[in-house]
Amino acid sequence: MSNNEKKWFSLNLNSKHKVENAGSCGCGKTSGGCGGSSSHTPQNMHQISDADFDAAVEAEIENTQKKDGFEQVFEVKMDRRSAFKKLAASLAIGAGAVSTSCSVIAGDESKEKSQIDWEEQFKGNYKLMSDEEKSATVDRLVRSYQLRTGKTLSMSSKNVEKDVLFGYAFNISKCQGYMDCVSACVEENNQDRNSQMEYIRIHEMKDGKGFNFNEADDNYYHEVPAEGHFYMGTQCFHCDNPPCVDVCPVKATWREDDGLVVIDYDWCVGCRYCMAACPYDGRRFNWSKPEVPEAEVNKNQHYLGNRMRKKGVMEKCTFCVQRSRAGKNPACVEACPTGARIFGNLLDPNSTIRWVLENKKVFRLKEDLGTEPKFWYFMD
Amino acid sequence: MKNTYNIIYSLLSIFLFAGIFSSCKHEEGEYHSVNDKIEAESKNYQGISISSEAHIGDIKTIEITEGEHTFLIPERKSKIKSYACTECHTKPLDKMQSKDIKKAHWNINLNHANENIMNCTTCHDGKHMDNLISITGKSIDFNTSYNLCNQCHTKQFEDWKGGAHGKRIGGWAPPRASMTCVNCHNPHKPHFESRWPARYNTQKLIERE
Repeated sequence: MSNNEKKWFSLNLNSKHKVENAGSCGCGKTSGGCGGSSSHTPQNMHQISDADFDAAVEAEIENTQKKDGFEQVFEVKMDRRSAFKKLAASLAIGAGAVSTSCSVIAGDESKEKSQIDWEEQFKGNYKLMSDEEKSATVDRLVRSYQLRTGKTLSMSSKNVEKDVLFGYAFNISKCQGYMDCVSACVEENNQDRNSQMEYIRIHEMKDGKGFNFNEADDNYYHEVPAEGHFYMGTQCFHCDNPPCVDVCPVKATWREDDGLVVIDYDWCVGCRYCMAACPYDGRRFNWSKPEVPEAEVNKNQHYLGNRMRKKGVMEKCTFCVQRSRAGKNPACVEACPTGARIFGNLLDPNSTIRWVLENKKVFRLKEDLGTEPKFWYFMD
Repeated sequence: MKNTYNIIYSLLSIFLFAGIFSSCKHEEGEYHSVNDKIEAESKNYQGISISSEAHIGDIKTIEITEGEHTFLIPERKSKIKSYACTECHTKPLDKMQSKDIKKAHWNINLNHANENIMNCTTCHDGKHMDNLISITGKSIDFNTSYNLCNQCHTKQFEDWKGGAHGKRIGGWAPPRASMTCVNCHNPHKPHFESRWPARYNTQKLIERE
């Protein structure tokens, strides 16, 4: 709490600054538990005196008046009562972290783990973070994964590139329903293997019936292409005017400047309003704890993309943000054996996606809704 | 008194006009449709720093220019197992075809158009086996075999040049590298086989039952 610029609460476990009013562990040592040469006695650390608590509440009010993530999002002024409530809640959640981090026997690692947990618990909305804060949270998540599993992963917080607007075109006369895209998507995006939730749906439709989603079969299992049928895929269309973003009560989802509609999984409260608002059924919800076998985890991750999710949050196609922002094609585009999927930069007049939009007869789904999806269909 | 009414009237009309004109005006950076946005924002396109070059991998590529499109395609000759053909085909084809010589290429079954239209020598030059041959007898290099295909498949060729047919290699950003015809289609059997889908949602099947 000594650093007022931070948008999350900090225990200052590893800080060298002397904290005057901290109601938590404030021994100020850089490593090892409290105690030892410290003047504090470890037993006292579990109990916070009334005076200390009052001081912490005061500090809290002061802190939040200097605009933190909460305030920036909700635009509420913090009064003494809510500050008290918040602090009490923080202590309840952080109690485990505090007690482990302050005990003499706890090692450096578990202390670091709880420090990470604490900072992650109270970090701000990713959308509002500065670049340093973004890389800090990414570093914490990488370190946390390392501490928990002993394995390293690379997580990116790469921002939007100027002059890029991602767009997608789908050739319905080429798609044969092979489902290689779905397979690649599940593996690339670390999707839950048990619930078999998939971002992409391939609909098998009868020739001559047009786009009839009521009669379409999207769970076929027979040799494809089936006689008298055609195939088309749907996923998140990354609308330029996304209704899912408008309805989110906590602003956990937003449209980035390169057109990607993304979710901060740590900010999402799982109300599923966005799922209801999406006219294309593009959003998915984690009903159960998403599980990916350790060996199959894709370790090339992005904060807004395929990092591990938790139960009860929304997720969806991000045009593989971890790949697309690095100049690669999304996994589905790469996996498609028929070349039905085309991806590119809509602002580059020489891009292949622009050629498709300008030279083929393209259309979008439910164009009249004004959602402006950046996902076009076309035929040969 | 009349004067004040006049002033009020004129003020009101000014506000009304201002209202009419400003209500249809979008704020800067707002567009009626995404197509307007694309058109407006790509006018000053400066290029991007992202490159897909690293994602092409160690595929050997050659640069081609067709019409207004210039892009990379994979090099072909080094990928053909028994190239150069002249290592075996030392004599022209008609001199090699005799009863006592061992049969070769028995595994190739031409399943492309019908017999009236195509046989081996429609594409392969019987006299210079290292090259392909056009319908009019012009030599075509194996690396640019798309020139052979586009004699008949003109529509696909146009789409391929623009990027609507075929697949990109690596990524979406420049430089563009695209698969050429023979990277996806076996020229002797160009259609796609029907097969089982790569995956299947067992959960949904249970739910439906």
